[in-house]
Amino acid sequence: MEKSEIEKRVKEVVSRILGVDEDSIMPESRFVEDLGAESVQSLELVAAFEEEFGIEMEEQAALEVKTVGKAVEFISKYLK
Amino acid sequence: MAILDNFIKKVSSGEKKIVLPEGTDERILQAAVLLNEKNIAKPVLVGTPEEIEKSLVKSGIKRDIIEIVNINDSGLINEFAKLYQKQRPNVSEKIALRLLKKPLIFAGMMVASGKVDAMVAGAASTTADVIQAAALTVGYQKNVSSSSSFFIMEMPDGKIFFYADCAVNISPSSEILADIGVATAASYRKLMQDEPLVAFLSFSSKGSASHPDVDKVVRAVEIAKQRDPGTAYDGEFQVDTALSEAVARRKLKEPSRVAGRANILIFPDLDAGNIAYKITQYLAGAKAYGPVLQGFAKPVSDLSRGAKPEDIVAVAAITCLLS
Repeated sequence: MEKSEIEKRVKEVVSRILGVDEDSIMPESRFVEDLGAESVQSLELVAAFEEEFGIEMEEQAALEVKTVGKAVEFISKYLK
Repeated sequence: MAILDNFIKKVSSGEKKIVLPEGTDERILQAAVLLNEKNIAKPVLVGTPEEIEKSLVKSGIKRDIIEIVNINDSGLINEFAKLYQKQRPNVSEKIALRLLKKPLIFAGMMVASGKVDAMVAGAASTTADVIQAAALTVGYQKNVSSSSSFFIMEMPDGKIFFYADCAVNISPSSEILADIGVATAASYRKLMQDEPLVAFLSFSSKGSASHPDVDKVVRAVEIAKQRDPGTAYDGEFQVDTALSEAVARRKLKEPSRVAGRANILIFPDLDAGNIAYKITQYLAGAKAYGPVLQGFAKPVSDLSRGAKPEDIVAVAAITCLLS
């Protein structure tokens, strides 16, 4: 899958789960500080990414991802 | 042990159901047996029945004395997924189904749906995981939007104080500090069946010092009073003003229902709270029970990962009283 496609879908998921406008989501956006995620929502984001891309991620490592761009990179590793 | 014995005596009807999602941990199984035997609560284990049964056999425990709920029960999973989605509409049912594969989330939904009264977990999970599961499933209690914890401090003369927060929030804002106060007052009322007198602590007593840290505590008191007007909150107080009526009379210009009589001490941050409970324990010879999680709409308690079966029973008894 192309990186641009992954990024597009990651933004869609983030927008849906966090209830933020897709246009306000940048690769450098931090989930908690910039997008207003409560820390408890990280588990929902991980599950939503897994569902979207049909993958199973290593949970502890996934929960440490702090920005949208890093999430795209992290998910890309599972799609190779 | 007096206060703990009191709690166990109070819950000896054994009517409350407590879900234990770490059903393959031997200590949990032994605690489940003790809860049954002492008539404290009806334990419900969550997991894969084959795995739990294997653990029961290994521990020499009869299968038929403890209720087991299959985490793969499709009827329950679908019911919980629908309820989860209703509570958190941004999450689709498919994502909810994925989350429900986690024992802590599944057990949390058993509490949220009313199938059990409370959850006790943490023997094999981190505190952060337990808090996250509780926040996503059970949600927060009225007037509170964060979780915290308290310690029950039993002094050598038998006096009881609640200390908070000594374990969860590192550097709480005024809003979170207010949450801690409101939640601890509710916990005190349920466990002690007495009026909570809540002192928000600082290095200043009613304006004796000026600093942003003092302002933070003053604001927390205001928020707590607004959210829960029926409860006695006051501060900012130095700890001697909170505990000694003679000092309170000397230091305060206005009368206070709490000053000199506080039974709940709210510390300004985790440094202060954690240091204070350990100093009270080690220098004053107090017994410390906790940390007990609070702030959730229904009780969810965390365990130390080194917890022994008797510790789990004590936490379960306290949790029953909070429900």
